[in-house]
Amino acid sequence: MTAHWWRLAFRNLGRHGRRTLLTGSIVVVGFVATTMTAGFVAQTFIALKEATIKGLGGHLRLFNREAAGKTDDEAAQLLLENWEGVGDVVRKDPRVAMVMPRLSFFGLVVRGEKSAAYLGTGSIPELEKKASLAAETVIAGEFMKNPEADELMLGSGIARALDAQVGDLVTVMTTTADGTLNAVDATIVAILQYPIKELDDRLLIMPYGAAAHLLKAEGKCTSLVLTLKSADETDAAASDLAKGLSEAGIPAAVKTWFESASFYRQVRLLYLTIFSFMGAVLAIVVILAVANTMTMSVFERTREIGVMLALGMERSSVRNLFLLEGLLLGTIGSAIGAVLSLLLRSALNVSGIELPPPPGGTHGTTLYVLFIPGAYVIGFVLMTSTLLVASWWPARRAANLDPVGALTHV
Amino acid sequence: MGLLEARELSRTYRLGNEEVPALSGASLVLAPGELAVLAGPSGSGKTTLLNLLGLLDRPTAGTLLFEGRETAQLSESERARLRRERIGFIFQSHQLIPVLSAEENVAFALWLRKMPEETCRARARRMLELVGLAGLEGRRPDALSGGQRQRVAVARALAGEPALILADEPTASLDSDTATKLLDLFEEVHRLASVTILFSSHDPRIIERAHRQVDLRDGKIISDRRVASS
Repeated sequence: MTAHWWRLAFRNLGRHGRRTLLTGSIVVVGFVATTMTAGFVAQTFIALKEATIKGLGGHLRLFNREAAGKTDDEAAQLLLENWEGVGDVVRKDPRVAMVMPRLSFFGLVVRGEKSAAYLGTGSIPELEKKASLAAETVIAGEFMKNPEADELMLGSGIARALDAQVGDLVTVMTTTADGTLNAVDATIVAILQYPIKELDDRLLIMPYGAAAHLLKAEGKCTSLVLTLKSADETDAAASDLAKGLSEAGIPAAVKTWFESASFYRQVRLLYLTIFSFMGAVLAIVVILAVANTMTMSVFERTREIGVMLALGMERSSVRNLFLLEGLLLGTIGSAIGAVLSLLLRSALNVSGIELPPPPGGTHGTTLYVLFIPGAYVIGFVLMTSTLLVASWWPARRAANLDPVGALTHV
Repeated sequence: MGLLEARELSRTYRLGNEEVPALSGASLVLAPGELAVLAGPSGSGKTTLLNLLGLLDRPTAGTLLFEGRETAQLSESERARLRRERIGFIFQSHQLIPVLSAEENVAFALWLRKMPEETCRARARRMLELVGLAGLEGRRPDALSGGQRQRVAVARALAGEPALILADEPTASLDSDTATKLLDLFEEVHRLASVTILFSSHDPRIIERAHRQVDLRDGKIISDRRVASS
């Protein structure tokens, strides 16, 4: 298509300014909705990913190979032996930044006459503070410090159930690795408000030494959590470490944070499904609006199309002229949409709007829309291709007009 | 060999379940350089025959040869090529493209032939000058008078240097003075370009200037005669 056809298509758009403006506005709104949604969703996924990794304490988790696929009860009995030795092996990989043992256990915590079921974690305070989300969620007291002390931290939900406060003494009861009942008295040093409510209602964290003593599992751990220098290396590191551990004769399996985070995967799938559905609805609205405009345009220009055909214009060229108008409208609408998106994004990011907590969360976040260049490219491709699809049938109708009938059209 | 040879052309339209004959057994040979008119009252079949001769429509029966070539076998695309390269059309009301200037409207016929933009523009300007519209190249149709618009249509028809110009009631929407001037222009064009011109009209001013008059009544050619133009 040479310059004069583009010029003709452009002028035809200007012929019915108000109608073109209305259709163009739909394209602009479609583009803005696409880029803003993508920016918001991407930011949500990044935040959720970071929170998930922090919640898990690291990027990779090593555990007893035999515990894979077992129930929690069964897995609790299958601990990873000699975590320090395993740690020495994995630390040789330069991608590993930190190695932290964790003991997972459950049972009852009792304060006076009140008791509650808990999900417990035994961890090295200094490392836990660095690696996990827990340190950021302290709402009362101070994060535990002593790796051997009989102290613990509780989620705000379980603390409320026990009517417990910082400084109170509670009894933690559980079943040891060999199946006997054991208990320890520990002092509450901090209350945490964990962002996932279900966990907040059950959360108990205590130093690794105290937990190992309680479980009679000294030197062992349920999982060895590894923090990598870069999250991008997760899959490669997991594969290499699994191979290295196997070669070293250590019966440990490796799981990435993504494999462990079923909640993250579910939320991600839910969001993607919702936004795909919204995107499809948006595309249908744009297609209907543009098809309507183009059909009206073909109807009003029937005689003119007849003249063009009479003068020897190929039917395919008539069709292309209408498609070109659709393409131009999509391009101009996308360009305006891109500028508006950038302005709106800046405005929203400084607005400080607080969003409600995400699924399972206990506190909201400030609205932030990420700038994703790829979303702008996708928005452009989506809008122009939608416009082309919407223009196709009216364009085809124009191309198939009978010139004699078109010339006498009133 | 005639430029155009129609043998027993018929065209029937379907109106609901009824078949309405618009043209029956029309035979006609047009030689190069003729200035002829299809005359007759409204509904006599003039426009139907003109549409068939201009390859805008296909006959229900009969044969049409254009420059010796049987047209029934031509594809849509080949017919379109013949229209843009060998035939110029002038319609009852100018039928210009409203968003294009006078110059662009004339150049449009050349754009279809994929000629370079500068060549199109230069030839369009030359054609507009020929029809007396020099200086009005940049005006859009809505800024031109009825007569000027019809002149632009003449320039557009001439731009492709066709072998045949078909003009359907070209003076129908013009006042007497403008119509006379337009007919003077047609005569001038015919004389300068030696192009075959076939009018369809019942306007006596056109009929008296034509060198040949083909009369139609009720879809049939009732007479075909050479006349001495005034």
